[in-house]
Amino acid sequence: MMLLRLISWPYFRKHVLRTLLTTAGIVLGVAVFVGMHTANESVLFAFSRTVDRIAGKTELQVTAGETGFDEEVLETVQAASTVRVAVPIIEAVVESNLPGQGNLLLLGIDMTGDRSLRDYDLDSGDEAVIDDPLVFLAQPDSIMLSKEFADRNHIAAGARLRLGTVEGDKQFAVRGVMKASGLTSAFGGNLAVMDIYAVQKMFGRGRKFDRIDLAVKPGRSLADCERELRATLGPGFLVEPPSGRGQQFEAMLAAYSMMVNISSAFALFIGMFIIYNAFAIAVTERRSEIGILRALGATRRQIRWLFLGESAVTGLVGSLGGLVFGVLIARGIAASIGALISDVYGVAQRADELATSPVTLALALGIGVLTSLVAAAIPARNAARVDPVQALQKGKYQVLSAGESRLRAILAAVLGAVSTVCLLAPDVAPGPLAGLRAVFYVGFGLVIVVALLLSPLLSLALAKALKPILRWLRPVEGALAADSLIQSPRRTSASVAALMLSLTLVIAFAGMARASYTSIIDWMHTALNPDLFIMPSQSIVNRTIRFPPEMAPDLAALPGVERVQMVRDARIVFRKTPVMVVAVEVNSLAQTARREAVEGNADDMYRRTAAGEGLMVSDNLANLQHLKLGEILEIPAPNGVIRLPITGIVVDYSDQQGTILMDRSVFLKYWHDDTVNVFRVYLTPGAQVPQVRQRILDRYAGQRQVFVLTNGELKGYILKITDQWFGLTSVQIAVAVLVAILGIVNTLTVSITDRRRELGVLKAVGGLRGQIRRTIWIEALSIAAIGLVLGFALGAINLYYILQIVHHDISGLRLDYEFPIGTVLALVPTMLGAAFVAAIWPAESAVRGSLVEALEYE
Amino acid sequence: MSSETRLITKTRRTRRSRRPTNNLLSDALCVFVVLFAAQRYAVAHAGYAAGPDAREIVEEAQKRTDAKSQRYEGLLQVFDAKGKVSDKRWSFERLGAHGQSKSVLRFTAPAEVKGVAMLIVNHPDRASDQWMWTPALERDRRIALQDRSTRFFGTDFSFEDLEERDVNQYTYASLGEESVDGAGCWKIQSTPKEGRSSQYTRSIVWIRKDNYTLLRIENYVKDQVVRRLSYTDVQNVQGIWTARQLEMVDLRRNSRTRLTVDKLEYNVPFKDEDFTLQAIRRQ
Repeated sequence: MMLLRLISWPYFRKHVLRTLLTTAGIVLGVAVFVGMHTANESVLFAFSRTVDRIAGKTELQVTAGETGFDEEVLETVQAASTVRVAVPIIEAVVESNLPGQGNLLLLGIDMTGDRSLRDYDLDSGDEAVIDDPLVFLAQPDSIMLSKEFADRNHIAAGARLRLGTVEGDKQFAVRGVMKASGLTSAFGGNLAVMDIYAVQKMFGRGRKFDRIDLAVKPGRSLADCERELRATLGPGFLVEPPSGRGQQFEAMLAAYSMMVNISSAFALFIGMFIIYNAFAIAVTERRSEIGILRALGATRRQIRWLFLGESAVTGLVGSLGGLVFGVLIARGIAASIGALISDVYGVAQRADELATSPVTLALALGIGVLTSLVAAAIPARNAARVDPVQALQKGKYQVLSAGESRLRAILAAVLGAVSTVCLLAPDVAPGPLAGLRAVFYVGFGLVIVVALLLSPLLSLALAKALKPILRWLRPVEGALAADSLIQSPRRTSASVAALMLSLTLVIAFAGMARASYTSIIDWMHTALNPDLFIMPSQSIVNRTIRFPPEMAPDLAALPGVERVQMVRDARIVFRKTPVMVVAVEVNSLAQTARREAVEGNADDMYRRTAAGEGLMVSDNLANLQHLKLGEILEIPAPNGVIRLPITGIVVDYSDQQGTILMDRSVFLKYWHDDTVNVFRVYLTPGAQVPQVRQRILDRYAGQRQVFVLTNGELKGYILKITDQWFGLTSVQIAVAVLVAILGIVNTLTVSITDRRRELGVLKAVGGLRGQIRRTIWIEALSIAAIGLVLGFALGAINLYYILQIVHHDISGLRLDYEFPIGTVLALVPTMLGAAFVAAIWPAESAVRGSLVEALEYE
Repeated sequence: MSSETRLITKTRRTRRSRRPTNNLLSDALCVFVVLFAAQRYAVAHAGYAAGPDAREIVEEAQKRTDAKSQRYEGLLQVFDAKGKVSDKRWSFERLGAHGQSKSVLRFTAPAEVKGVAMLIVNHPDRASDQWMWTPALERDRRIALQDRSTRFFGTDFSFEDLEERDVNQYTYASLGEESVDGAGCWKIQSTPKEGRSSQYTRSIVWIRKDNYTLLRIENYVKDQVVRRLSYTDVQNVQGIWTARQLEMVDLRRNSRTRLTVDKLEYNVPFKDEDFTLQAIRRQ
């Protein structure tokens, strides 16, 4: 502590800016970690809280995926010996049609019995606030609003509210306002309650319920009840506590969460290099100070602990700053994630409150400090080894010794070989290593380590290669800048390494995005080729409102329409994972949107699937669930277990967790659900898309809510969602670039301080200000150029492995490798420009520095 | 089997297994659904575990209200704690012996609830089956057994109060005699037997000594009176003493519901098929 106070504190005070820049690296790293995780947790928490609040006193819930089940199931559940009370529920998310209010979660309940499980405290504490409970039940336009929502929108009982229904926009009569309570604050307060049978009618739900909430008889255990209901209802139903829905939601977001984790880890890794850079430089800069301390009797151990202590303090301060900054940015990220989840997964939730988990904050703090300590470990060790005599000799410490270079090269070669074995082992090795993903990840990590080990050597080599070019460009300044880089590879390489890692991250995300776009566009061209798509909602992932099948012949009869295909998709739980079931008329699909099979014979695949003798699965599902062609799938459904073989594996991007395609007849048989999510409409040759579209709109005007999208519009919509998916990663890319720029600023600032004598001498012998300024600029641009070259090289390798991770562990999608040339071309001027901007202040500082002071430094 | 098919089957079974009237509660007490149900309920609670006297009183009360069918038009007025009054009108028809009768209650006013109907099919050995028909939705819904303690459409009656109950499902105690509104009454307590589900722990019934009509029922949850039903304006209609006005007070909510009976007729010639789900959907 004494050393920290006497030695470190004055040093920090003297180099405030550098200290701030160093700390900023860890602030950003921790902030990204905290921001992303807090936002992610907030979204999960918001969903779980909505589930909890709606669940009320519910102990168990009976569900069958998104499809719901026949009403008769309710009587079976109510008759169970262990069930005290069981009530049906339908949840529907509808557009509130109020500016800035977004969606409204509509809870369809049976008002005659639901109060056994939920408290609908009415505003006056008196049921009379519902003008008349009988009128509420008798009139299908009755709606009750939460006080929060009613107050926000100045709606009182008796007012009307316009909502989109299966029959078009309808006016609903507000016949009650619920008092603010746990229930009403669900879904951010945007909650409304309707009679369940009215919801069925208004939202085209047929005679189905989404789920049953129940409470167990006194004296009977939840386990007893679960056992009884599972035995009675069969495997097509899930019987679990309300928290199970939160777990399913988490499972659905697994791919997204994995992306967040990878990005956060990278952000921290980059932050670590900033710290390493700063401490490595500090050690070299303070060699004389260390030498004096050693000469005065300080032990090596004390010197090591001095630097580790400094890094711990820096890490702690940076982490604390990161926590604050992270929490500040989390709200914006949460809103973005919420919108993304709603658009990509069709699951609506509102993360209005931040779930700042103490565990996440403590973890971030710990990781921040640990990262800082790890980053400073090598510089601290080097500091401890400083020879007091050599310490007072100037100039040699930035040089990389031949021995060290050799050692680095040997280590890199050995680790490179280990890495190659690790990366190949899961694919080729028999025995226990086969398919072991941990081994693959070790190999992946080693690739990065090898790159980092080699970065000083490669930086040096590249700097030497650059020297003739720089000299050719500016004989004096270019040579000086190149010499500076060559003579201090340590100083340069840490900054280059940070830049390299940032660019690696950028290349990975950009490459993944590009590959995804290309694959999705290919898939859309084959699978989504109808001229028009008719949907009951503006969102293609919103399955709240559905069409009756009777519309199909109506549509087919319209002039200009050649063929109509009915599509019903719904998320079900398959092998404990939420996956998408897509039920289509496969025979018709084979004639219009025939896809080649990744595995299997396409003719056989379509013939058998159309005959209800098999199922087609998407290749991502096959990868994630290790499914093989011909394997018999067992899919639990409300009306029995489907046992059919996989007839073919196809490319399909309908869902990140995978898709099972079946013939509509199979779906009808096992789900008793004939509703339709989307009509695919093909036009007769010569028919005009706008005219037919208008005919469809006219046909259902005032009767039914229909949204008709052209082929181009639907594809645009899907690409927009894809943009959204990668939008968040753009933020992370920006942060990564920012961290890298910080690294450059830090390096240059240190470089100036480090070379005050040299710069002072230059000025003394007649060096012009412009020459000095240009020297610094060129040095900065050279660091950026070296970073760009190494970053692109490592990025190219990293992208390959990231695509492997996506394929095996994230979404199962087989994305083709495509190096993101466009991004690379954009990064070159961006990073060079950023380096130049980063060099302005250090250059000015060097120019304006006092000559006397510079020489006094000696 | 759909609810509807089950109902038809049940109705047939009920006809075949009709029990002698003297084993059941008095039909004559039941002049309209709530009155009918509440009185049935109360009389069922009255019974005679404490001795033959209580039983004889109940049996006699039951016998004096015996009728093959009945019809009336009712005015239902709900007075909330703030004094706000809401009115509804309904027509009520009932067919069959007590404990296994079928009733149809149809709202006629106000316009928003016109056509909403309830079908109640009573069983001597178990809880009744109840369905509600909402014409605007064109849907019927079954009122589940678990929901019987719920308030009947915002009134102070519960769905359970609409049921007819068998006397054998309760144990009884005579609590002596007491006057109600100047009329001498027997005071009898009934308690549901073990295994018999009810929201009420026990009930106390006052039966007039001169004509065996009910004058008051108090329903208890544990030791607290939660609902009190009073019968007034007792008149002789076609030889059956019948209260023309009932008032249920919910003592926890401090609200009350009054039912006024009009155009009351007994032994009206109804058909069995008028008391099915198809029938209430048709009208």
